[in-house]
Amino acid sequence: MKLFDTTLTRLQQSLDVRLVEHNVLAGNIANSDTPGYRPKELDFSQAMAAAQQAADTEMLASTDARHLGPNGEGPAGAGASRATFAATTLVRDGVGNSPSLDGNQVDLDRTMAGLAENSLQYGASARAAGKKLAILRYVVSDGGS
Amino acid sequence: MSIETIRSIVGINPQPEVSQVERSLGSASGGGFAETLGGALQKVDQMQLNADAQADKVAMGGGNLHEMSMSLEEADISMRLAMKVRTKLVEAYQEIMRMSV
Amino acid sequence: MDFLTALRISGAGLGVERTRVNLATSNLANAETTRTPEGGPYKRLDPVIQAVSFPSELGDAQQLGSPANQAMKAEISAIVADQTPGRRVYSPGHPDADPEGFVVFPNVNPVHEVVNLMSASRSYEANATAIDTLKSMAQRGLDIAR
Repeated sequence: MKLFDTTLTRLQQSLDVRLVEHNVLAGNIANSDTPGYRPKELDFSQAMAAAQQAADTEMLASTDARHLGPNGEGPAGAGASRATFAATTLVRDGVGNSPSLDGNQVDLDRTMAGLAENSLQYGASARAAGKKLAILRYVVSDGGS
Repeated sequence: MSIETIRSIVGINPQPEVSQVERSLGSASGGGFAETLGGALQKVDQMQLNADAQADKVAMGGGNLHEMSMSLEEADISMRLAMKVRTKLVEAYQEIMRMSV
Repeated sequence: MDFLTALRISGAGLGVERTRVNLATSNLANAETTRTPEGGPYKRLDPVIQAVSFPSELGDAQQLGSPANQAMKAEISAIVADQTPGRRVYSPGHPDADPEGFVVFPNVNPVHEVVNLMSASRSYEANATAIDTLKSMAQRGLDIAR
């Protein structure tokens, strides 16, 4: 019997991917004055699709922390979920849209707006997950809380 | 005077109207309470599925935040109502079973 | 990539911007300094900022993907003195005048330094906002299990 449905799984994946996106944006902000730096970016829907695929396919089990992953990539961390890993592999150098004399291409304003949106969506997914679990908890505890 | 004459004068209808309660108890349609209960549970389930669909949309990056919040809250409330109804029904059943006849 | 990584990235960014502010204020303060312990006028200082991918301080478990996939943090790899010669002013009575009577002033352009100061201050705020955002995200995440 499946107690936790696919929606909950998908919400969890979206939380993972949003966190990776935050890391990418924070890295761009921290490097907003680095000469020659090209901002990194992550395509959210692509990352979600990859995360879903990673969850569906059976990954090889690694019995040792030093085992390589199924595609030859580095050791999968104990703390990283499959969705995080799938999203991380999709981080790539962006094209940058703010040319400047020192070669830095980070558009700080757009990055800040992206940060705000990302945080909002993270909160929305977290709220949805919390609410679904609360309904479940209510039913399981027979009307108590 | 025959009874029929009196009846026709006064206009009393000897057949009482089938009340709504008796109808719902299944005398008229044959479904009745079980059907109503099943329908209500179906609606509660539908609200849960709606909420799921909205949450899915938001998780995938699109969707409408306030629509998701509303449908989640509706699902929560309808589930709580269903639980309360269930509790009352069980209590009523137990009350009846306790009657000493 | 997780909360700790994001915190470190933004923290490193804050440090870089703080150093830029320090250097800009030092340059401004010494805009007229004609004598230094090393001899000669003050030379303005420039930070060399570099993007580094994350060291796996927490062990291999944190090294996800290749360096190309990593979010990068920034760090100051060096502070170099700007070697462009400063302006020379003819002032034979000045205690630091050279034998021809010229005094070499620092190569500091106050307008440049103020612009650098403003840019560093804006970036500092941006990094601080990133940390705030991270904190609120973490709080929401914890609230799931309230």
